[in-house]
Amino acid sequence: MSEHRREVLQMLAEGKITADEAERLIAALEKEETAGAGGGSEAGPKAKPRYLRVVVDSQNSHGYHSPVLVNIRVPMQLLRAGVKLASLIPAQAREQVNDAMRERGVPFDLSQIKPENLEELVDQLNDLTIDVDESHGKTKVRVFCE
Amino acid sequence: MIPLVASVSIRNKRNRGFRLWIPLALVWLLLLPVGLLLLPVVFVACWAGRIDPFRALEVFWQILCGLKGANVEFDNQGSSVLIHVF
Repeated sequence: MSEHRREVLQMLAEGKITADEAERLIAALEKEETAGAGGGSEAGPKAKPRYLRVVVDSQNSHGYHSPVLVNIRVPMQLLRAGVKLASLIPAQAREQVNDAMRERGVPFDLSQIKPENLEELVDQLNDLTIDVDESHGKTKVRVFCE
Repeated sequence: MIPLVASVSIRNKRNRGFRLWIPLALVWLLLLPVGLLLLPVVFVACWAGRIDPFRALEVFWQILCGLKGANVEFDNQGSSVLIHVF
């Protein structure tokens, strides 16, 4: 029981308010609680990422090259379509690719990539942030979703 | 939706730079007859590679539509290049 509701019932017990007034107050409190919960849940889920950003900022300290800034924005739709290229690989070639990856210590099967896996992967990219900071060359690489 | 316009902006500190607008819609229209002529070749190549040609065309179309909104920016101290696909 919430504190406010307890106070309302206390006032009702002490005769400070009538039963009708207590009922209206409790209804108003319940309305506030549901509105607060709805607002919180609406703010909770993050929007799906629309772009994958790659930002490279190189401030080369050797003095031979001027600073370089590379900013790439790739739509998520393009990533999804690109991953679907794996489904076009013929079965025979897919087995060869799987064997080659297995030899290099990557036990991954390309045939296991399914559309629902892709959507889950893209959804998880929302929390992806990669920061690479090279102190000597003063190069920063950031990969994130927005 | 496939991209209809692309913008290429080249800026050089000496020449101040320029922006080039490319009407991709016209480019697609120009490439459409070429694509139709190459369609049988694509089908034969897919059949030879044991690839579903309709699936391949679908993925190619999705890649084309996914280009919309892509940005590539390269900024050096002496020059900068910005490519924006609308």
